Order: sequence, then C-alpha cells, then structure tokens
Amino acid sequence: MALKIWRYDAVKGERALEEYEVDAPDWATLLDVLDIVKDRHDGTLAYRKSCRMMICGSCGMRMDGAAVLACKTRMVDIAESGHVPVISAMGNMPIVKDLVVDMNPFWGKIRAVQPWLEPGYSDPGEKEHIVSQERMDTIHKESLCIMCGCCVSECNSMEADPDFLGPAALAKGMRFVGDARDRATVERLQSYSEEHGIWDCTRCYFCQERCPKGVDPRDAIAKLGAEAMREGIDSDMGARHAKWFVTSAKTTGWLRETELVPKTQGIAKSMKEVTFAMGLLKHGKVPPPFPPHVAKHVDEARALYDIVKQEGAQGAAGIVQSEHALARLEFVHESGAEERDPYGPDSFPEPLPPGEGAGQ
Amino acid sequence: MEVMHDVVVVGAGCAGMRAAIEAFDAGADVAMISKIHPVRSHSGAAEGGINAALGNASEDDPEKHAFDTVKGSDYLGDQDAIEILCQEAPDDVYQLEHWGAVFSRTPDGRIAQRPFGAAGEPRTAYAADITGHVLIHVLYEQVLKRDIPTYEEYFAWKLVVDDGRCQGVIAWDLLRGGLQSIGAKTVILATGGAGRLYTGTTNAYACTGDGMAMALRAGVALKDMEMMQFHPTTLAPTGVLITEGCRGEGAYLLNAKAERFLVRYAPNAMELASRDVISRAEQTEIDEGRGLNGNVMLDLRHLGAERILERLHGTRELSMTFAGVDPIYEPIPVRPGAHYHMGGVDTDVWGQTSLPGLYAAGEVACVSVHGANRLGGNALMETITYGKRVGRHASEWALANTTVEVPAAVEADAERELKALLDRTAGERPWQIRDELAETMHVNFGVFRREEQMLEQGAIVQSLRERYESVVVEDKGEVFNSDLTQALELGFLLELAECMVVSGIARKESRGAHARPYDYPNRDDEKYLRHTLVTWKDGAVQLDWKPVTMTKWQPQERTY
Repeated sequence: MALKIWRYDAVKGERALEEYEVDAPDWATLLDVLDIVKDRHDGTLAYRKSCRMMICGSCGMRMDGAAVLACKTRMVDIAESGHVPVISAMGNMPIVKDLVVDMNPFWGKIRAVQPWLEPGYSDPGEKEHIVSQERMDTIHKESLCIMCGCCVSECNSMEADPDFLGPAALAKGMRFVGDARDRATVERLQSYSEEHGIWDCTRCYFCQERCPKGVDPRDAIAKLGAEAMREGIDSDMGARHAKWFVTSAKTTGWLRETELVPKTQGIAKSMKEVTFAMGLLKHGKVPPPFPPHVAKHVDEARALYDIVKQEGAQGAAGIVQSEHALARLEFVHESGAEERDPYGPDSFPEPLPPGEGAGQ
Repeated sequence: MEVMHDVVVVGAGCAGMRAAIEAFDAGADVAMISKIHPVRSHSGAAEGGINAALGNASEDDPEKHAFDTVKGSDYLGDQDAIEILCQEAPDDVYQLEHWGAVFSRTPDGRIAQRPFGAAGEPRTAYAADITGHVLIHVLYEQVLKRDIPTYEEYFAWKLVVDDGRCQGVIAWDLLRGGLQSIGAKTVILATGGAGRLYTGTTNAYACTGDGMAMALRAGVALKDMEMMQFHPTTLAPTGVLITEGCRGEGAYLLNAKAERFLVRYAPNAMELASRDVISRAEQTEIDEGRGLNGNVMLDLRHLGAERILERLHGTRELSMTFAGVDPIYEPIPVRPGAHYHMGGVDTDVWGQTSLPGLYAAGEVACVSVHGANRLGGNALMETITYGKRVGRHASEWALANTTVEVPAAVEADAERELKALLDRTAGERPWQIRDELAETMHVNFGVFRREEQMLEQGAIVQSLRERYESVVVEDKGEVFNSDLTQALELGFLLELAECMVVSGIARKESRGAHARPYDYPNRDDEKYLRHTLVTWKDGAVQLDWKPVTMTKWQPQERTY
C-alpha cells in the first residue's frame, strides 16, 4: 500500500510530504505500516508507540486530517480502495519531529484541574468506601480516558484560545466531580467555570467524534456545566447565556434574542453593543423587544419544560448523552434490527457438555 | 553529574510509581526516569484484576491466597515473599481505593471480586476489564498530587557503579538528545518485563527487559530466567491480550470440535486451571490437529450481551478491532502468547539486590513471588505491595547515607561507547536481528521445550549477538532518535535471551512454565527445587543455583 507522511525536521525547521510504498499484511494497522516504513525504508521516521492495543495512548496522530490512534486503525480497506492516506502529527500541539508532538501543554492542563481525589478526611478507615455500582457508573466514560490527545488535537476552541482547558482535562475534571468519594466538588466547579474553562467550549463535538475510547468529552463538559449551575455557580457569561435560553423558551416558546445579550453580558457591557443592535434593528434583523413575542404553541414548550422538571434529574444526571461508551462499535439490538442468533446455522457450534465428544 | 536525588526510580509503571510515592511520603527527594510517559507504561494494559483476600465475595483469608500462590508457582516461589504479599495485599488494595481507584462494586457497594485461574476463592478485585488502566491512572494522580519530578522520555541505559555501590543512572534524553547522568543514593529498577523477545506477545513495544539487562551488566544476578509465562488467551497474529477475566466470568475454551477440551487436562478447575496448564493443553490440542488455524476458541456467547457489555467491554473492543469478531455472537480465536517473566533481578523481600544501593520491584524483579508460574491477578498486586516495600527501604537507606559520586570516567566511557555506535555508517540495521530473535525464541523456547531446540537457540543467539556487534543506526540526529533507542533495546534483549537459554537447558525437569515433555516430563524436587541464578562474566553467562525459601508448605503433586 501507499501512504504519505508529513515529515518535520526540528533542527532545520523544514516540513516535507513524503510518499512511501510498502508491503503490508492484511491485518496491518496504521502503526504496523509505520513500523514497516521505519524498518525497511527510513530509520529516521519518528512516532510514539507502545502497547499497540489501544490502552497506552501513545500513538495519536492524524490520518487525512482527522485524529486517530494508529494502532486502532486497520488499513486493508484503505489500501484496497487505492486511496493514499496522508499521515501527520496531531493538531494544537507543537511538533517535535515528524509525528511526535510536544505534549507538555496537554499535561499542564491535566495538572490544572487538580486531578486527584480529595476525599475530605484524614483517617480513611480500615476498609473501602461503600459506593454503589450505579453511582460509580456515572464516571465510567470519563475513567476510560487514555490521554492520547486526539480530542485536544481536534479542539476548535483551543485553536482560537490556546489557554482553553480543553476536552481531556475537563473530562478528567468530571471524573472527580462525578465521584461520590470526592469532597471538593464546589471548589472544582468554581475553578473549572473560570475563563478558559467549561463555558469556553464551542460545542463543535469534534472531540466526541474523534475520541477513540468513547469518553465523550463534550458530554463531560455539559455535565460539568449542569453541575455548576446546580451549585449556583452561574456568574460566567456562558452559564447566564444557557440559563436565559431556558427562561426564554419557557416564557415565550422561543428565543428572546434582544434580551439575550444583556442577560448574558450584563447591562453595562451590552451598552457597548447598542450601536450594533440599532444597525440590526434598522435592517429588520431584530424583533422589537416589547411586547415580547410569544410563540403560538408556547404551551408545548412549557409542557416540555415541565416534563424535564418532573423527571427530577438534577445536574449531570439531566444531561442527555450521546451513544453509550463503546456502543459505536455497532451493537444490533435496536428496534427493527434483525436479532442475530449466536448459535444459528452459520455460527460456531454450541459447546458439547464436558466429557462428550471424540476426544483424542 | 548534573543532577542528584536521594532515590531514583527507573520506570514509571505501577511498581515504579508506587515506589516513588512511598519514598516521597518517607521524606526522600525522589525522581522517576521513564522512557515513555508514566501513563503509557505497560501496567496499564493489565486487564483482569488484582488479587487480595478481601473476602468480599466469599470467606477468604491471606493464608488461602498464599497457598494458592505457592501451589501455582509449582513450589518454586519463595514462601516468605509470598506470605508477605498475601498479608499486606488487602490493606494495599484499600489504599488504592482511598486514592480513588474506580473498582467495580458488589451489590452492597464493596469492591467486587471475581474468580480467577487456580484461585480457591473469588479473590480478584477488578475494574471491569481495565484494571491496570484504572490503577496506573490513580497512581499517576497521586504522583501529580505530590509533584514528584519525572524525567519523561529519558531512556535509562547504564547504571553507575562506584565504590561497590549503585550511585545513579546514565540516560539518553529522547526529546532533546544527549546523555545525562543522574546521581542517586539508591536506584530502584521498575522497568517491567522482556516480552519483546517473542513474536507473539501481549507485551508492549516498550517491554525490552532494560532493567534486567542493566543489572546484569552491573554484575547483579538474574534468577529463574527460563520462567517465561505463556498466557492462554492472546489474539493472532501479534499476541494482543484477552483477559483471564473472561474465564473468570465463565467463558469456555473449545477446540475445533466444540469440545471443552480441558476436561482431559484439568477436570476439576477446567477453564480456571493455572495458566501453564491451560497453555500446554491448548498447544497440545493445536499440535494434534484439533485447533482452528492454529487457535482454539474462547466462547463467551452464553454469558449474554449485558454481562459482556458491562464487565468485558474492553475485551469486546479488542476482539472486534483485532480479530474482527464480536464475542456476543462468535467465539474468539485465541492461542498461547508470551506474557510475563516470572524470572528477573534477584532480590530479597525488601527488593534489595546483591549490589548495595540497587533495588528492583515489579516484573523486572524476582523476589520470588511467582516461582515457575504466576497466578493471574498476582502481578498487579506484586507491583503495589513490593513497590511500596521497596520504596520504603530504598528511601530509608538513602536518608541514612549521604554521599553520591558519579565518576567522570564513567560518563566519558558511556559517551565514547555511544559515539562509536552512532559513528558507524556501514553494516546491518537492527530490525532483522530483532525479528529473527523473536521468531526463533517463539519456536525454540516456547510453551514446550526440547533440549536440541534450546541448544540450537543458544547458537542462534550467539550468532545474532555477533551480528549485533556491527549494527548501524540510521538516524544520526539528536531529537527523538527512536532508531538509536531501539538499537540499544535490542542489545538488552540479546543478552537476556542468552540467560534464558542457559537457565532453561540447566533445568532438567518440567516445572511450571518450563515444560520438557520429551526428555524430562516430571518435576524433580530432589534436584531442582531451587532457583537458577545467572551472572555475566567475561562476555558469557555463568550459572549458579539458589535454594527456595520454604515456610509452611511442602511440595505436593500439582493437579487442577
């Protein structure tokens, strides 16, 4: 198969796209192909690797512009299609050499969320904490994170604001906020709600899309936001913005945009936007604020609000999450999907009871 | 010498980080050196669990755990070391839980425990099937909390020995290039195993036996090096691990005729017999033509989707990615693969080696807790309990002793040796030697061993070592030169292979992982209830023996 690799020479500061043609077995992953290139074609090629089984997180890189774990990416289909993939280093981190990036900024942000349990006692007692499995499950997805950096590589907010904490660090934060044993929830939420924190996420969902482990970092950030608001930590513009959406939908059944700006930014700040708003108004882009326009079917919006309230889901529990972790590895039990019989005619035979069968 | 610490830990997996945490808490200035970032360490790939007699799933006690371990070791384990492990294990697991480890839970909210191979009780505490991942992250969290300095992506290459003491490490800085000597009053090796000696291995690319080889070169003895465990359930072709937790949850092993063939090998324990027994049974089935493309089948279908998704989701992900099989609907094709080195650096129960100031903990060490065969779930436990003990002893020693000296001549020698390697421009690149070594070890020093094959392997390793003498590193750069470090790793592996072959030929019996069905099919307690011990003298291996420590258990016939 053929592939192109963006090489980078740190000493000379030169980049070059080089193409390689290699013989690879059917089972080869991207990592196996890189190994073949390094062994047989060019020993100077640099990339990180270790476990080759999707758990150490070393081999994050980009293929055709999207972050992948090289060891998880099977190449046979790509090779057969004739497509020549372009391999490059992850984004949002400085390149050290070829496919190796400097992960120090990444680890710095992990440190910034104080990623250790604050159990709030000095004497832990002789045995374990009693915690139900159900309660542990609330941080299941977050604890799957292998810190490969794929989410950070793809993060649009971080591209605009390099100081943004980012999806990996915030998911790590949620791992503690959601932990029944942690006693620093409020302090954590206050700190994560500051500038460059929870509310600076643009909800582009690239992190969620590209995470190779099903951590769903954007869901984690949404859960942090919900937990923060439950604790009354809502002074950030992002939180006020979200709150106004709810109020607005409940009262009028749609978004009262004219009030959104002052509600989010505060009266004083939004005064600066008056000229801009007047301009919009002149072109008929803003409905007059008074009297508020009420949607025809506002009852439906209110009913929806009531249903959510009645469910009683508070904080993170109220966040509707995307697919269950790892469910994206297709599991056919959806309605309409044909039930597959593990012991059907085309399956491996059912085990014989021990002792039955021809033996030797 | 540019920098100095009281204690330097080489390797930052579970054993290394646990040792560093203990040394820090004892008040020592401790630093870790690791060729990969701590959370990348291969402890994180441990899946099934960690053994401690918590008694959460049944009546259990440390003595039962100890007996199972002694029997599992085929009586080659040192019983004092085993008793310490089993006694201290429960508190060490509670400690991990207090630090925040995300263990799976029983219905009453305690740490859940599952049955595991050759264990008399359900004793294996677990976090679904990602226990190692959960532990490595909780230990890293505690390292961050203490702000323990780490030389990340530094490749430890040589131990500094001066005045009859280990006084530091010389390492290559992968990111920036250049050798750096790091002085230390005590050095703890926690570099893991050497599974990369084999083609089919569960081990990461990083598992190249660095610490064992560095110790060997410093004149320290390696113990029981012939004892390489083959895990019964690994995926073709490269050996990706499928956890024993599958069988703990009730999975069957079937041959091509859908027979649960273990009835002929371990009629009582069946799929939960010890790993050596099951690997031999599988290999026999495959060799005698009852396999399926060189595999047997691991059948999880009867466990049902819910249980698989809840407790074995990582296994499902691995088998779908690497074998194209969804275990909810199809059995997983598996075969034995090199997994764990019971042998390693000879230490006492505080991790001390024969060289003052040098310690070892975890897979690199041979205390010996595992003897001739390790029980699933005992490796993670050893990293924690012995990591803690070794960290404590090494820091106490360091705090009581003051001077460190890295002689300039030692640094100069290392610089010269490295320059000679990098200056060489004509010759063979290392990868072919590496591949030949791994392929031949798999064939000649695998699950079953024949005298003539071991002798042949000895000759092969000799010739590969000669070829290695003139090996060429293509990358001459300073920045992230993995071509260089991979060449150095191969040098480590070649010496270890020689140690293994010499030890294997000398042990003329079948015990645990060392199976010689063709010439010595039985265990011979009279002659071989003792450890092999190898040292490196004048470019060759010297063999010696060491008695096994017995406390309360006399050898018995071992059946499952």
